[in-house]
Amino acid sequence: MREQAVARLHALLVRVARGVAARRRATLPARALEDVDDVCVHAANDALMAVLAKLDTYRGSARFTTWACKFVIFEASSRLRRHAWRERKVEPDETIWDRLPDAAPAALQRLEDDQLISALHHAVNEHLTERQRLVFQSAALEDVPIDVIAERLGTSRGAIYKTLHDARGKLRRALIEAGHGEAEPVS
Amino acid sequence: MTKSDLQKLLGSPDRDPGCDAGLDVIDVYCEAVVRGEPIAGRFTEFLTHLSNCTACREDTESLMAVLREQEKSGAG
Repeated sequence: MREQAVARLHALLVRVARGVAARRRATLPARALEDVDDVCVHAANDALMAVLAKLDTYRGSARFTTWACKFVIFEASSRLRRHAWRERKVEPDETIWDRLPDAAPAALQRLEDDQLISALHHAVNEHLTERQRLVFQSAALEDVPIDVIAERLGTSRGAIYKTLHDARGKLRRALIEAGHGEAEPVS
Repeated sequence: MTKSDLQKLLGSPDRDPGCDAGLDVIDVYCEAVVRGEPIAGRFTEFLTHLSNCTACREDTESLMAVLREQEKSGAG
């Protein structure tokens, strides 16, 4: 009985992982497409293990299938982001500040004529640790997914997000001190 | 320069509990949205996190898509 339930759950998780892959297909380079189904099955296997290990934490706040699906979505999307970046390097690249007009996200392109770019660059160099600089430059300026950064640095999405969050806080405060931006709300 | 340009780079200064706390509520949030329940005030910190974190935002959209497909097929 339990085996049948676990098999049905696994089938659901594989289906959901394949759905995630289908929605992310456009983000995957052509060379990565042939292995995508393997990535989905592995994601479903790991998600099943996570669900079974955490069964006693399920509180019924959402339907069981919704609760289970979040684990496979997390696994599948993380793996697919890493899969898409598997042949690309993630490393500190100071030339990003010179390449901004061509390489930066749209938000930065609109800022390029502003003194804010140089204030931001100064704040990044003066206020961030080496790890914060790598994470901020990769995630915020070069759009490297945080799951990819986490894998390369041997840590978790949550840990990288915390580093990014702390870096952003430092930069916001530095820019306010330099006369850019507004005071932060008290939390 | 607009405020939203800067916010995209630096994130919102509002309280953001992070990815792990987000994973705790993503299922409850998605079901509430798909059911059309009022969410104002219920998920303030999670919504701040979604505005700051591309990966969690994409995962939320994926879970929402699964729930909508289940609803359409009558499995929800």
